[in-house]
Amino acid sequence: MAKLLIKNLYKRYTNTGKKKAPENPYAVNDLTLECKQGEFVALLGPSGCGKTTTLRMIAGLEDITQGDIFIGDVRVNDVPPKDRRIGLAFEDYALYPPLTVRENIAYNLRAKKVNKAEIDRRVNEIAKLMNVESLLDQMPVKLSGGQKQRVNIARAIVRRPELLLMDEPLSHLDGKMRQAMRTEIKRLHNEIECTSVYVTHDQLEAMSLADRIAIMDLGKLQQYGTAIDVYDNPVNEFVAAFIGEPPMNILETTVIKHENEFYFTFQGSSLRILVPRRYYSKVHDGFAVKMGVRPMDLYIGSEESKGTYERVVIFENLGDERRIGVRVGDHLVMLITADEKRYRHGDVIKLDVNEQKTHLFDIETGNRIYSDEPR
Amino acid sequence: MTARKRLTAILQNGGLAIYAVFALFPLLWMFILTFKSDAEMLTTTFVFTPTLVNYQQVFFHSDYLRYIKDSFIVSTGAVLISVLAGVPAAYAFARYNFKKKETIAFQILSFKFAPEILVVLPLYMLYRQMGLYDTYLGLIWVYQLISMPLIIWVVRGYFEDISVEIEHAAQVDGYPWWQIFFKVLLPLIKPGLVSSALLCFIFAWNSFTFPLLLAGIKIEPITVAATKYLAQSTVHYGQMAVAATCSALPSIIFAIAIQKHLVRGLSFGAVKG
Amino acid sequence: MAKIELINVTKRFGKLTALKNVNLEIEDKEFFVLFGPAGAGKTTILNNIAGIQIPDEGVIKINGEIVNQIDPANRNVAMVFENYALYPNRTVYDNIASPLRSPKHKKDENYIKGAVTKAAALMKIDMLLDRLPSQLSNGQRQRVALGRALVRDPNVFLMDEPLAHLDAKLRNLMRGELKEMQHNFATTSIYVTHDFMEAMSLADRIAIIDEGEIIQVGISEEIYYMPKNQFVAQLMGDPEINLLSCDLVENGTGFTCLWAAAPDNPIQLPEDEELFSRIRTLENKKVNVGIRPQNVHYSFEPVEGAIEGTVYSFETIGNKSVLTAQVKDAHVRIIAPNGLVLKLDQPVYITFDISRVIVFDADTHEYIGRYDESEVMKLVNEHRGESFTRAGENHG
Repeated sequence: MAKLLIKNLYKRYTNTGKKKAPENPYAVNDLTLECKQGEFVALLGPSGCGKTTTLRMIAGLEDITQGDIFIGDVRVNDVPPKDRRIGLAFEDYALYPPLTVRENIAYNLRAKKVNKAEIDRRVNEIAKLMNVESLLDQMPVKLSGGQKQRVNIARAIVRRPELLLMDEPLSHLDGKMRQAMRTEIKRLHNEIECTSVYVTHDQLEAMSLADRIAIMDLGKLQQYGTAIDVYDNPVNEFVAAFIGEPPMNILETTVIKHENEFYFTFQGSSLRILVPRRYYSKVHDGFAVKMGVRPMDLYIGSEESKGTYERVVIFENLGDERRIGVRVGDHLVMLITADEKRYRHGDVIKLDVNEQKTHLFDIETGNRIYSDEPR
Repeated sequence: MTARKRLTAILQNGGLAIYAVFALFPLLWMFILTFKSDAEMLTTTFVFTPTLVNYQQVFFHSDYLRYIKDSFIVSTGAVLISVLAGVPAAYAFARYNFKKKETIAFQILSFKFAPEILVVLPLYMLYRQMGLYDTYLGLIWVYQLISMPLIIWVVRGYFEDISVEIEHAAQVDGYPWWQIFFKVLLPLIKPGLVSSALLCFIFAWNSFTFPLLLAGIKIEPITVAATKYLAQSTVHYGQMAVAATCSALPSIIFAIAIQKHLVRGLSFGAVKG
Repeated sequence: MAKIELINVTKRFGKLTALKNVNLEIEDKEFFVLFGPAGAGKTTILNNIAGIQIPDEGVIKINGEIVNQIDPANRNVAMVFENYALYPNRTVYDNIASPLRSPKHKKDENYIKGAVTKAAALMKIDMLLDRLPSQLSNGQRQRVALGRALVRDPNVFLMDEPLAHLDAKLRNLMRGELKEMQHNFATTSIYVTHDFMEAMSLADRIAIIDEGEIIQVGISEEIYYMPKNQFVAQLMGDPEINLLSCDLVENGTGFTCLWAAAPDNPIQLPEDEELFSRIRTLENKKVNVGIRPQNVHYSFEPVEGAIEGTVYSFETIGNKSVLTAQVKDAHVRIIAPNGLVLKLDQPVYITFDISRVIVFDADTHEYIGRYDESEVMKLVNEHRGESFTRAGENHG
């Protein structure tokens, strides 16, 4: 169980041969990150953001262009993967087809020349933990996706690694299996408390599994914090829109002043939302800004409430909740409700906003505009 | 690049250069010989007076051009038949499931394993009886043992690589089956088809045992005819060199043209995914 | 005008029977969803309707005409394949234009240009028209495949899991766009998915299919509130419905429910004559009581009458979380708000909202009944009427 420290890490892929070709942009750009002992950290971001590249550098499967990686207190830049005391569980299982499950899991231990009795003991222990005891004598080809993935993880942790690295291990599983495996991975982490780095593009997975989440985009770290941190306090528009299902509604708005109060207004719509007092020092009449509000902070108002009437363009009944989309100018605004009434396209509802839960983002940079008081 | 990496690179390139010299030297030597007169043949190495007399002899005073023509007819004919029959067969193997499919496929492939000398004697007897001895048809037919398995094997791999859904999409789009084949499938198998066809041509062109024993007087491909230059009291090395160089020429040209596709095509059917 | 009918269709592949006596009736302009787990036979149904495969038994009708022997090209269907099936050596423009250049539907190049540009703009891929499929991301390829289908004016759109290979965010976005576009479709659509949210959101009616058989057909509310059996109930709902294995004991006028995992906490079932009469007809009174996660209540402080368990897991699934409680060997899933502070294995006290349960026969797994069934039926009939009105309206 070691801590992990990544310091000013850069990765650039070089064009082999051609000297005249323009330089590639950095795949990983000045990444600094530390994981405490026993922490479960997720690297989250869209495809191409650099998360897998980072993981591969931690594993030693990619060269480091610049920067340092420390596992425990040891600088591992030049240490080959097999000596880094890591366990790898990658997307595509890569179980050895001619070996049984037991032999697959034991493979690494045999290579390290651990004695047979000890190998058996450890394999049985891990198999129990990962719920694959009944599969120990099967061949990989007979296993389902979920079972293969459990064996994959068992193989990774049987070596008692300092660091467990997982690269989108659940991406090939269908919805229900993925849910079940998520629960298992969570319980597993609770039992063995191994420092883990988990790469995914699914923010639900990250939110559900990780102690802290590192969100990346285009090689750069956007925000690093707990699930609640990144959900309630996104530092910029990208993080705000990426975290949360359904995603936060982000609309372009102009602030106007009316009778000593500020309102958000939207082009092409009569909707007006009161600006919370704590933003008053940041806005002025005519201020163009982006406003974000989560679907669960929008409501269907009653006749007396102060919302405005908007037209329904989307109605989804998802069993335990309903999602309604209304058009506000050019934007499609989604709200969630447990209300059982069914609406049709063209129906009109009163849109109510919990304006205290709005976020402001700079219209140029996308950075969060923080209010005066702490939220 | 570190010093160590640079040293490895130099050693690797050096090794390759030495091997290249080793492999290509005979061809180079043969090419030089074509320009040497008989007089200077055994007395000089690299320094001599070049002459075109060998070329004159071979092209204008012997039947060389007739031999080249025979080679072309038989090789081209063989490849054509292999393509016309082999491509649909490859499609059938790729798309359909029928009884003993893999057994039949392996059987076709096994034709290439049989040493030619083993089968040529029984074939000789059959050919004589059937009247196929010393005919173009006879040679083209027997060349199928060499060319058809290769075409089927390579093109099958290419067909298997094309998702069948693309054919379904074309059907749903409204195309008849023959348009689907020519407009959608053919462009996608073209690299494999062309490279395997050219390779078959090279094999057919270089074939020696079959034309030697199954053809004789009327049809003499260049491989067989070249021996004529040997079986004489005085060996005209220069003329033989010309004959050999010119007959190697089509193979070399085609091989260079398809070398990029060759490896891909040959290893294609072998490994999935 | 395109009503699609499958009558007693059976399809076999060697020893495997992919479709067993399937009967379906899809109304004109309906957005019909085929929903079921992997391998159920959904793609086979689409292939048979398209003409790519022919049924071994039974008949397929389009607009009342039997089409079993008619080529795909002549059936006038448009299909979006699960793996997109784009022509790899043609540009996006040529891919979308392809159906309009076939002998069947040939149009002149001016018309083609207009139609392709329109479809590309609708799918938001107008800047990609010169690219090859290998140069596109999965999401872009999926839109090209949809564009290629939209450019036609077919009898029916057949869509085979078109959102399957997209990441969660893109899938959400495309589902929303499809939903908005759906309003403008005036064409029958048959949509295959194994994603519950897509099915509930997009369908006029849903057909649940498993192992080649149609289990239930109905509007989403019908299937959600009155599933034909346990399998359907478990399929429709995320997180999955809880099934409690119970014995019913008659006492006086009513029934008490004894959950196997909590034998010391009998639950008195409220009165409902209809439901009770059905229960009385059961031989043994063993039932599985289904209760959805949003109808279970939890507390970390002891509550009178609550059942005690321990926290097994807690997971965020977006705008809410799932708290799984362990009671003896059973797991109960409960919807809870995000950000709860708790420790695994700590005690938790759960109560059930009995008025929302669905009762299943423990042996046959068939639906027996639920409370306020007549209310639910009324709701379903109202919405069913609306669905058909929407399908019948002429939009766009």
